[in-house]
Parts: sequence; structure tokens; C-alpha cells
Amino acid sequence: MEIKTEQFVETAKRELKNPNSRIFLNLLPVVLSSLRELAMETFPDPDAAQEMGGIIRGEALARLPELLETFEKNASAAGAKIYWAKDSQAANEYILNLVLENQAGYITKGKSMVTEEMGLNELMIKNGIEVWETDLGEFIAQLLARPPFHIVGPAVNVPVDQIRDVFMEKIGLDKPTTDPVELGYAARRFLRDKFHEMKIGVTGVNFAVAETGTIINVENEGNIRFNKSSPKIQVSVMTIEKVIPDMKDAMHLLRLLCRNCTGQHIGSYVTMDTGPKKEDEIDGPEELHIIILDNGRSQIFQDTQTREVLRCIRCGGCLNICPVYGMIGGYPYGWAYSGPMGQLLAPLLLGLNRCHDHIWACTSCQACKVNCPAGIDHPGLLLYLRNKEVEGDSSLKAVPPAWTESLSYKVFSRIASNPMLWRLTSKLMRPVINRGAKDGKLKKGPGPLADWLKGRDFPEMPEKTFHERWSELKRS
Amino acid sequence: MTKSTKDELLNRLKDAQTGKIPARIDLPPPFENALSKEELIEKFTNKLIEQEGVVYRTNNQTGTLEKLAQILAQEGVKKAMAAEDDVVKPLDLPAWGKHQGIEITTQFDYKNRESFKESIFNQVDAGITGADFAIAESGTLALVHDKYQARLISLAPILHIAVVPVERVVPVYESVTEKVYQGDNTPSQLTLITGPSMTADIQGIMFKGMHGPRRLIVILMD
Repeated sequence: MEIKTEQFVETAKRELKNPNSRIFLNLLPVVLSSLRELAMETFPDPDAAQEMGGIIRGEALARLPELLETFEKNASAAGAKIYWAKDSQAANEYILNLVLENQAGYITKGKSMVTEEMGLNELMIKNGIEVWETDLGEFIAQLLARPPFHIVGPAVNVPVDQIRDVFMEKIGLDKPTTDPVELGYAARRFLRDKFHEMKIGVTGVNFAVAETGTIINVENEGNIRFNKSSPKIQVSVMTIEKVIPDMKDAMHLLRLLCRNCTGQHIGSYVTMDTGPKKEDEIDGPEELHIIILDNGRSQIFQDTQTREVLRCIRCGGCLNICPVYGMIGGYPYGWAYSGPMGQLLAPLLLGLNRCHDHIWACTSCQACKVNCPAGIDHPGLLLYLRNKEVEGDSSLKAVPPAWTESLSYKVFSRIASNPMLWRLTSKLMRPVINRGAKDGKLKKGPGPLADWLKGRDFPEMPEKTFHERWSELKRS
Repeated sequence: MTKSTKDELLNRLKDAQTGKIPARIDLPPPFENALSKEELIEKFTNKLIEQEGVVYRTNNQTGTLEKLAQILAQEGVKKAMAAEDDVVKPLDLPAWGKHQGIEITTQFDYKNRESFKESIFNQVDAGITGADFAIAESGTLALVHDKYQARLISLAPILHIAVVPVERVVPVYESVTEKVYQGDNTPSQLTLITGPSMTADIQGIMFKGMHGPRRLIVILMD
């Protein structure tokens, strides 16, 4: 997937006018949020359960290096092969080598955000290896070459006639149909042969349990189960922050993940793998490769503020409640991660220079923070990143604002912090500023103020300042 | 190469300022812990039905076989594959199937992985398995995969029938993980199954049988 994070504003403008996206943005977040509310009620104490999620994630990060070592030890003891990958390139090349060594010809993928982050598909295709996304939504998004619209429903907004056309063109759908179920079964039939003949299956990981060396995946379709049952080689990619202390924590987070994601109590299938298949088992992978990927996260970990982002368990709950996401959908974020979690992850992984709009597209309404089962303060962290951008923080590749902007703020702060200057300037500036006033509201302003006033309802400056009126009142 | 990546990474994490481990809080026990055996069975049944699973209850092995015959006839199953786990094996389904006019094989009838896969992907109409646990919390089956419980039998065929002795109904997920992950005999895979395979990825329209079974039928056996 091409990274299009720089096109945030123009894509957002286009999406605001896209009727197909609008239908689902008016519906999906609302439905998922209310299902979530209902599902949370199944906890004896929903608030405490949610709080516990944050506590577990907090502990996992506080003990991260130790837990990673324990996980590696236990997973290796069970027969898994662990590969530590510094970045996407290392991880991609490791998988490519496996494909070439085993003459696999193609790979299938279970839904995984991290392999999208890595750009695994692009590298495979460049080397003549076919890649098949096997989650239905991802499969459609792949055929149409689009980024995910929503973390749970990557192609839920795509109209059926577009799906029909691309299925006829690319997977040999012979009878044209716009019935969603028929289209789904066409994908089932097409991918079933891929599942049957596959040599290598690639999945992500939802949780890696240190205590037992177990990796856990949650899904609804069964595609991940096929990727873990049919091929002789299974490759599961996890980023460093996926590791959690023990199985009890895993079960609690599993409940929170499913409830916050789709409002389900649990996904249709949860698979928990400890090592490859045993010698006497007829199916399951003979080799289980677990790639532990850093890709900049150890850098994010250095700063105790940005570290908080690594709590995320990718439930997507923050998307469904976000008023900005609810207007623009997933495309403007331009990458694997959208919504509030994407607004934090994308700038930290790609650099603030490529994700300027991500950190500003937030109303600071706090809804995501309140809903987050991992205890992330998204708005607080976005403010932190805005601050870093203004400071021009080089480790985050920040591009500071133009010198004219900094200068005007400096001048403003000088004037505003001196009462004499402030009174004098307000008096002098009043006629200049009020020139753009209409119906008591400022619509236009001089110079750079014009842009600033575009999205704000600012009242016209009154004829007299408070101080002027106050002294008049006292006199009378 | 990979060794140094690992050390470099772990050292960087260890050198960073250590965060405080937050104190744990006490959660109230799950509702299911207070349920009687019969209430657990009821909850399991209701939860699975919510997910469009079908649940029957039988009194003994004979009743189970009668129910099974009925289901296979209704669903038009001609060929099925059965697991060899401790619930299904005693039913000796291959021999029983012969009397019913249904060809029932087990994985041990296939000489290798390829022929087993060919059959489970392309020939059988149903997979029949036992289950190690049935979890009341969410109407979930837990299957421990091993030599006798192949992974694809409960996944590849369009119909999955699971036979579960009622004494295997337990309250919550932890009731399962505490048993499965104690000691050294950790299974290569534990699968939790809640209803048939499903998706809502096209226009939010939900349907069953995306990649795995379209129907899940559970026979609870007393």
C-alpha cells in the first residue's frame, strides 16, 4: 500500500462529498459504539474491567524487555523459531527468503495491520511472489488497491457493483451478482483453493503471552485458522509491544478487545499457538516462525510520553467514537492505521514531517481517551506532539512552522503580557480587525488571520473594551 | 545478525527510563462463577444460539447417535470426517456410518497430510468432533488440538458437528486456560469456537460460512 499520509486534507475534502462513505460513517460508528456499550455491561463492574485493561498494558510496558526475553525463551522451548527484526526491510526479507527457499510461489495473509505497516505485499509482488489477503474486507481492498476504510470493515463502504466488477475482472466471477452473500461465497470459493495448496501462511498476532510462549489471534472468518492449519510453514509477525505477562491477563484483554472492537463478547475464532504442530499431528505448521519486529518502536519507547502509544491493542474503539473519523472515514489517514490511534502511530512511525495534519485533526473532545481499554490519553499525546512540532523536534522529524508564524506569536505574546501595550494595541487594531466583520461575527481578517478565522466563530470587537466600560461605570 | 539485533533492541529498552508498574485492582468475580451446573448449561446454550449455533441435548450415547443420524440426514451429508478424540472415538462413527449409509472416515484413514487435506477440503460434507470444554460465558467451544484432534476437521467442511459431554461445561475462559496451561503438556494449539465462521465485510451485511463452517451444531450429551 502506498503511503499517502501527506494527502490528508485533500482526501478528507473528497471523502466529505463521497456518498458511499457517508452512508457508513453515519451508521457504522454509531452501531458499533452502542454494541460496545451493551457488551461492556456483561462485566460485573464495567469501569473496573476497563481500568484493569490499562493496568495490564501499563505493566506490560513497564516490564517490556523482561517479558520479551521470557516470551522468547518459552516460545523457543516449544519449538518456535524467533527472528528479531530491526525494521520492515529485515522482516520482509526474512519472509521473502522463506518463500524462495521453499519455492512457495504465493503466500496468503490473515488480516494483520503490521504486515501493511511493513509493506510486505509490495516487496513480494516486486519479487514475483503472489500475495493473497484472505480477510474478505482486506481481499476486496487489495483487489481495488485501497487503504482500509475502517480497521474492522476495511471495505465496508465499497458499493456492491464495484465489488462485482472487480471480482469479474480479477477472480473470475462468472455470473454477475450484487448480492453481498453471493459475492462473499465467490471469494470463499476462490480463496479456498489458495488455502488448500498453500505452503506459507502469514498472520499477525493479537497477544503474545510471555508465561507460556503462546501467540493468540482473534478473528471471525476462519481465514487465520486456515493460515495456521493448512500450510507447512506459518509466519506470525508481532511488534515488540504485543507481549503481555500471563494467560490470565490475555483472557481479560481478549474480552476487552472483542467488546471494544465489534461489541462481540468474543470473536468466532480465537487460536492460541504454542510452538509448531507436534510430530504426530497431521495438520498445522511444521515450522512456526515468529518475527518480533521493532521498526522504530524502541525509539518511541525512549520517551516516557510517546511510550504510552505502545499500550494500543488495535481494537478500533477510538475510531468509532471519534467525531473527526466520523466525518472523514479511514482514507484520509493514508496508511494502515486510522482514527485517533492512527493519528498517534503514523507520525511516530513515519515522522511528523509526513503526518503534519494527523496531529492537528483533533477537537480534544476526550471521547477516545474515555473509551480506550488500554488507558491511552490520545488528546493529551496529540497536544504533546503539537508541542514537539512547534519546537521542531528533530528526533520526530518535525518541521517547525514558518518563521513568520513564530514571530507573530512572539509579538502577540509580548503585547498580551503587557497591560499598557495591550490596551493601546486593541484600540489601534479595532477598526482594522472589524473591517472583516459581518452580523457581529468576524468572517475575514487581515493577513494570516484570514485562514485562522475560516473555521472559527469569532465575535466582532466591541466598541469599548471591558476596562473602558468599567472606568465609565465607576465614574457614573 | 539477528542476535545482535536482539541485544541492541533489548539494551535500548533496558536503558530507557523504567516506568512504574501500576498496582492491580480487585475485580468482582464473573457472574458465571455463581451459576449452578444446570444454569451454566443453559447459559452456554443461549449464548451459542445468539451466534446462530444450534444446540441439542441428549441423554446418552444412543440418544446422541440417533440425533446425529437425524442431523446428517437433514443436512444431506453423504461423507463426513470424524476426529479421534475421547468423546467421538468411543462412538465408533466409521462403523456406525456404514449402517447409516454414510461414509465416515478419520484422519488415520489417510496415509499422508496431502490425502487428508484433499479429503477434508474437497470431499467431505461435515466434520464431527468432540470438545474439551464448553464455556458458558459466551457459548464457546474449546478444542485442544493434538494427534486425535486435527485442526482442519472443525474448520474446512461447511458443517461442523460437535459432541460435548455436559460435565465439560465450565464457567469462563480462565476455567479452561488454568487447566490447559498448567504443567508441561502444553498443546500446540488451543482453539476457541463461538458460532459458525462469519463476516460483515460487504456493506455490513452479516452472513455465515465465510471461510469456515456455515453451520455449527452442538450435541450436549448427558
